[in-house]
Amino acid sequence: MLRHEFRAMGTEVELLLDAEPGLGSELALSAAEAEFARLERLLSRFLPDSELSALNRRGSLRAGPELLELTELALAARERTRGRFDPTVHDALVAAGYDRSFDRLDPDGAIATAPAAVRCRGGVAVDRASGRIELQPGFRLDLGGIAKGYAVDRALALLAEAGPGLVNAGGDLAGTGRPWAVGVSTGDGGLTLELEEAAIATSGRDRRRWLQAGVERHHLIDPDTGAPAETDLLRVSVVAATASEAEVLAKALFLAGSAAAEREVAALGLVAVLVTLDDRTIVTGALA
Amino acid sequence: MTSHVARLYALAVSLLVLFLFWAMIAARPWGPAAAGRDPRLAALDARERRLRAEAILVQRIVAHRFAVYREQLRRRQAAIARVKRQNALAATRAAATPRVRIVSLPPLTITRSS
Repeated sequence: MLRHEFRAMGTEVELLLDAEPGLGSELALSAAEAEFARLERLLSRFLPDSELSALNRRGSLRAGPELLELTELALAARERTRGRFDPTVHDALVAAGYDRSFDRLDPDGAIATAPAAVRCRGGVAVDRASGRIELQPGFRLDLGGIAKGYAVDRALALLAEAGPGLVNAGGDLAGTGRPWAVGVSTGDGGLTLELEEAAIATSGRDRRRWLQAGVERHHLIDPDTGAPAETDLLRVSVVAATASEAEVLAKALFLAGSAAAEREVAALGLVAVLVTLDDRTIVTGALA
Repeated sequence: MTSHVARLYALAVSLLVLFLFWAMIAARPWGPAAAGRDPRLAALDARERRLRAEAILVQRIVAHRFAVYREQLRRRQAAIARVKRQNALAATRAAATPRVRIVSLPPLTITRSS
């Protein structure tokens, strides 16, 4: 088993490749790493010369295929989750203090700005024919809630050319070619899931949190309030066919709260592990 | 009679002298050829040499640019092929039903809040 680790998109990325060492394996691992770097240069809101930053500055842009596709995916996800996943939470995240890469955010340092709710659900128009994306004035895009999963899916396709592979970007992961044993944290320890041609993502308020004027804040914005979501959940892990889908679903279920999330998981036939703030673990779907 | 012959000689000599002068004047010994090469021809020669040198340079630039273009085309085609493969696998995975079960194996990796 070949393992390759690097840092990208503000998190640790781990590539696992079930193949013999050799030129083909090396090339596949390098290609997958390069894909993360390439997508980060295009899609990061923290890089001023990224395509996404250009779109946010100008409000309108003839975008490349990746930004176009990801924006369409994000809008479809907003539709599918009835607005719980929203790519226009950019200004709400900034207002909550998440205005720079998390690496550069001091989680224990107090951010001076006062917490403020910022309106979300901005209009985004994508014209596939001309390749143009238009933002409603006053709104900016943040693709942080889906871009890592998207990058995982793209990188996995490159890695899979050399054999069965798994890509894990800070907890958003997907594997192909063979069953993969993946650890999931629960309220009282953990459990191991064996995933086959599947992806899993976890969203929660136990990481990426900080203090703002003495108030604990986290990165999961509720578009209804424009502020970090307050639910009875600590974190949610969801299994889906692709990492981008799993990432979206994990956020949407986290925002729903445990009761609604359980109902939704059952209705959609999903597999999920919910951990509540009082460390209760709810295993749903085919695992229950 | 003698004077008649003498006049004929004088006429012949005069014609010869006239012809020699004409030939000498027609040769234009004071002209540009005598002073050196025609500067217009020299300029034309220089221009031709410059143009030939420029043509060689242009050919080299065109060859270099064509080589760069071919390399970019090769990379672009490789990128398109890669994206097609990625899309094909992504479509296959999206259409597949993920299989999952709880096992008691040690995990190879973990998922955590991202």
